[in-house]
Amino acid sequence: MGKNRAPAPQMQSNVTWKNAMKRDWQLYLLLLIPVALVIIFCYAAYPGLRMVFMDYKPAKGYDGSKWVGMATFAKVFEDADFHRALRNSLVFNFLDLLVGFPMPIILALILNELRYPRFKKVTQTILYLPHFLSWVIIGSVAYQIFRPSTGMINIVLQNMGLIKEGIPFLTEKWHWAVTYLLIGVWQGMGWGTIIYLAAMTSISGELYEAAMIDGAGRWKRMWHITLPGIKGTVVTLLIMNLGRIMGSNFERLDVFANTQVREFQYQLAIYIYEKGLGNAQFSMSTAVGLFQSLVGLLLVIAADRFAKLLGEDGLI
Amino acid sequence: MKKNTLQKTLALFLAGAMTLGLAACGGGSDKAADASPAKEEEPAKEETAPEQDSTEAEAETETEAEAPAADGAAGMDGWEAFAENVTLKVPVYDRGVEGVPTVNDNYWTGWIQENFGDKYNVTVEFVPITRTDVMTDYALLAASESLPTILMEYDYPKLSQWANDGYLTTYSLDDFAQVAPDYYAQMVENNQLGYTELNGEVYFALAERPFYNCGYTWQNWVRMDWLREVGYDHVPENREEFLDAMKKIQDAGIAEHPMGGAQIPDRGAHQNYGYRTYPQDELEWAMYGDSVISSLGWEPNKRLLKVENENYNLGITNPEYYITDDETNKAAFINGDVYQFGGYISANMDWLTAFYEQNPDAELAVIPIYGPDEGLGTVPAWRADNPFGMIIGFSAFATEDELKAAWMYMEWMTQEDVLFTMQWGVEGENYNLGDDGLPVSVTDYKGDYTQGFNNSKDYWCVTTEARNAGTIEQIIKSSTPNDLPQDFSDAIIENYNSRLALIDQGYAVNDAIFGVVLEAETEYLGTLGELYKEYADQLIMCAPEEFDALYDELSQKYLDAGYQAVLDDRKAAYEAGNSTKLPK
Repeated sequence: MGKNRAPAPQMQSNVTWKNAMKRDWQLYLLLLIPVALVIIFCYAAYPGLRMVFMDYKPAKGYDGSKWVGMATFAKVFEDADFHRALRNSLVFNFLDLLVGFPMPIILALILNELRYPRFKKVTQTILYLPHFLSWVIIGSVAYQIFRPSTGMINIVLQNMGLIKEGIPFLTEKWHWAVTYLLIGVWQGMGWGTIIYLAAMTSISGELYEAAMIDGAGRWKRMWHITLPGIKGTVVTLLIMNLGRIMGSNFERLDVFANTQVREFQYQLAIYIYEKGLGNAQFSMSTAVGLFQSLVGLLLVIAADRFAKLLGEDGLI
Repeated sequence: MKKNTLQKTLALFLAGAMTLGLAACGGGSDKAADASPAKEEEPAKEETAPEQDSTEAEAETETEAEAPAADGAAGMDGWEAFAENVTLKVPVYDRGVEGVPTVNDNYWTGWIQENFGDKYNVTVEFVPITRTDVMTDYALLAASESLPTILMEYDYPKLSQWANDGYLTTYSLDDFAQVAPDYYAQMVENNQLGYTELNGEVYFALAERPFYNCGYTWQNWVRMDWLREVGYDHVPENREEFLDAMKKIQDAGIAEHPMGGAQIPDRGAHQNYGYRTYPQDELEWAMYGDSVISSLGWEPNKRLLKVENENYNLGITNPEYYITDDETNKAAFINGDVYQFGGYISANMDWLTAFYEQNPDAELAVIPIYGPDEGLGTVPAWRADNPFGMIIGFSAFATEDELKAAWMYMEWMTQEDVLFTMQWGVEGENYNLGDDGLPVSVTDYKGDYTQGFNNSKDYWCVTTEARNAGTIEQIIKSSTPNDLPQDFSDAIIENYNSRLALIDQGYAVNDAIFGVVLEAETEYLGTLGELYKEYADQLIMCAPEEFDALYDELSQKYLDAGYQAVLDDRKAAYEAGNSTKLPK
C-alpha cells in the first residue's frame, strides 16, 4: 500500500468543494447520518469529562458541583492504592502481551499447515469457542478445577501420589499470576488466529509452489513466505494491543478475585470500581479512566512512529 | 427524473429523521435542566413557611388546582386522586433468591398498584436494588438522575452518605404529619423523631421495629445429633466444651471441618459485642463500636480474630472458607457436612426445609443464650437493632407531587388492613386462620399469590420490620417454620426471654448514631471494607505464633488507609455532642 503513493489520475481534475457538493449533495446528505452517529456516540459524551476537574456529586449535577481544578488528579496520584493498581496493571498487561500475543500467530501457523480442511475447521472452531464463554463462567469453572484441596486437578494429582499438598493455583499470588495469565491466553488465542489465518489466505499460492520447486521445506516456507506475508497484520495488531497496556478488564479480574491474591489482583479496573463507583466518587474514577486512555493513546502513537521507523506502514 | 425525485425524497427523509433524533437527544437534557430548579424551589418554600398551619394549606389548595391531594383534611380521608398521573418509584431488594416472584412485577406489586396506585392516580414502579451491592446501585441511579422517590436502607451511615452527596431532599415534618398522620404517630410513639435530623435538618422518616432490643430474629442452628453421637446432651456451653466437641466430631470422622465457613462479607463483618468490657467506655463505644466498618486494631476485634485463628489452625474452620461463598456454605450445611448455620427466622426457611429433606433423621438445636464464657473471655452481649427499621429518605429529584405520593404510600402501607394483607397474603391461599384466631402461614404455598422474600417484607418494610401477630410469643410462633420435623419456637422464645433479662446489664448494645455527616466514613467505607477482608483473612490463616506481630502491623496499615480519619471524625462528633449516648 505504502509504496504506491502516486495519486490516481482522476483525482487530478479540478473539482472544487462547491462543485462536488452540488453534484453529489444527496450522497453528502446521506453521509451525515453515519457522521452524526459517530459524533453522538463517540464524542457527545466528552463534555462530561469535565467532571474530572470538579468534585462531582451526581445528585447535584454539573451545575451544582464545585470546580476543584487538578485536585482530583493530585489526590489520585498520591494514593498508595493507585500506585499498587497501576503497577499491577502495567506488569500484568505487559505479561499478557508477552505471553498472549505470539500464541495466536503460532497457532495460526500450525492451523495453516493442516491439509484436511474439515479437521482444520473443527479444530479452529474448538479453539475459538472459549472466546464466547463469559468470564463469569470461566472463573467459576476455574475455581472448581483449581481449588487448593477440593479442586479437581489437586485431587487427581494427590490421588496419583504426585503431590502431598494441594497446589494453590488461585489462592497464592505467584501461582495465581501464572494461572491468571495462562487462562487468559487459553481464552483469547483461538479467536486471535482468525485474523492471521485470513491474512495467510491472501498470500499467493504461487509463492509456495515456487519455493517448493526450489526445494524449500515446511519450515523454510513458513519462515520465508508465511511470516513475511502476515508481517503487516502482526505489526498492526501489536500496535493496537499496545494501546491496551494501560487498560484492565474488570470482569476477568473480578472472577478470579480472593483476599489472598489481592496484592496482584488489585488493578486499575478494581481500583476504579471500588473507590470510584463503590464510594460514589465519580470524578476520581473518571480521572483514572482518562489517565488510562491518554497513556494508551500515547503508547499507540509512539508504537506507530516506531513501526514507521522500521519501515512498516503503521496505523495512522 | 423519477429516480432522482425518489433519491431526493429519501435523502431528505433520512436527514429529517436524523435531525429529529438529534433534537430528541438535546431535549432529554433540557428536561433534566427543567427538573432541577423545581427541586430547588421545594426547600425554599419550606424555609419561608415553616409553620404552615392548616388554614394556609387550605388556601394553597385553592390556588394550586394541580396539587389537590392531601392538602386539605389530614390523613387518608383527605386524600384525593392526583389530577395528573404521578409516578412513584419505590426501591425493593433483589436478593437473588430462588422461589420468589420477580421483585418488580408480581401479583403483589399489581395488588399495590390496584389498591393504592389506581385509586390516587399514582403509577407505582418498583426499582430492584441488588441486596449485596446497594451503594453501587443507588450511585448509578443517581448518576442517571433516576433515583427512586424513596431511598431506604437499614444503616445510618449509608443514609448520611446519601444526604451528604445530595441524593436526599429535606422535608417538613409538619407537612408529613398532614399527609401521613398514622405514620407520624407511629414515629412519635416509638420515640424516633430525634433520628429524623442530620446536621440539624429533617431528612429521614423511620419505620417501626417492634421488639428491636433482643435480636431474636437471627438464630444459629447446630447438629444436635452429632453432639449426641460424641456424648453431649446439650449444646456446648463454653469454649472448652466447644473445642472438645469439635475434636470428637473430627476424630469420629463425622465432619472434617465441622464449622465450615464462608467469605467475610463486605461490611459488618466480625461483630465483637461479646468480646468487649462492660460497662462500656462511652467514647470507645462511639469511636470503635460500629458494626459497618470493622474495628481492626481494637482489643475486642483482636480477641475475636484470635479465636478465629485458633479455629482455623485446628481445622475446625474449612481451610477454603475464603473462597467459599455463603450459598456454598449453606449447601454444605444442607448436605450434612457442616455443624452449624445461622439465619433470620421466618415462617418459611428454605434451607431448613431442604436440610430435613436431605437428612430426615437429623436433629437440630438452636444455640441457647449462655452466660459469660471464661475460656473465650466473652459475655452474652449482642448487637441490639436500631430502635427503628428502615431509614427512609426522599429523592432530591422528586417533585412535590412525587414526594406527597411517597408519603401517601407510606401511610397507606401502615393501615392495619393493608399491612395485614401484605404480610399474610390471601386467606385460604397464603395463610389460614388458626384456632386462636391468629393467621398461620401456608409455608409450602406455590401459586399466583406467592409472596416475596420473607413474606414480602421487602415491600412492607417501609413501615415496619415484623409481622404483627399479637404477643411476642405469638409473633415468634408465627415466624418460625411449623412444617418441619422439629419445632424451634419454644427455644427461640426462651432465647428472647434470656436476652430480655440481660438488657439491664447493658448487654443489648445499640451502635452510636451520629447526627452529622462523617466525611471520612463516606470516603473510606468501601476501601476499609475491602481492606478488612484482606487483612482479617491473613490474620485468621497465619500461624498462631505470628498472630500478634501481624495484627499490630496490619492494624497500623488499616489506620493509615483511612480508619484513623474515621476515628478522628467520630471522636470529634462525639465530643461535640452530635451522637447518641449509651443508656445510663
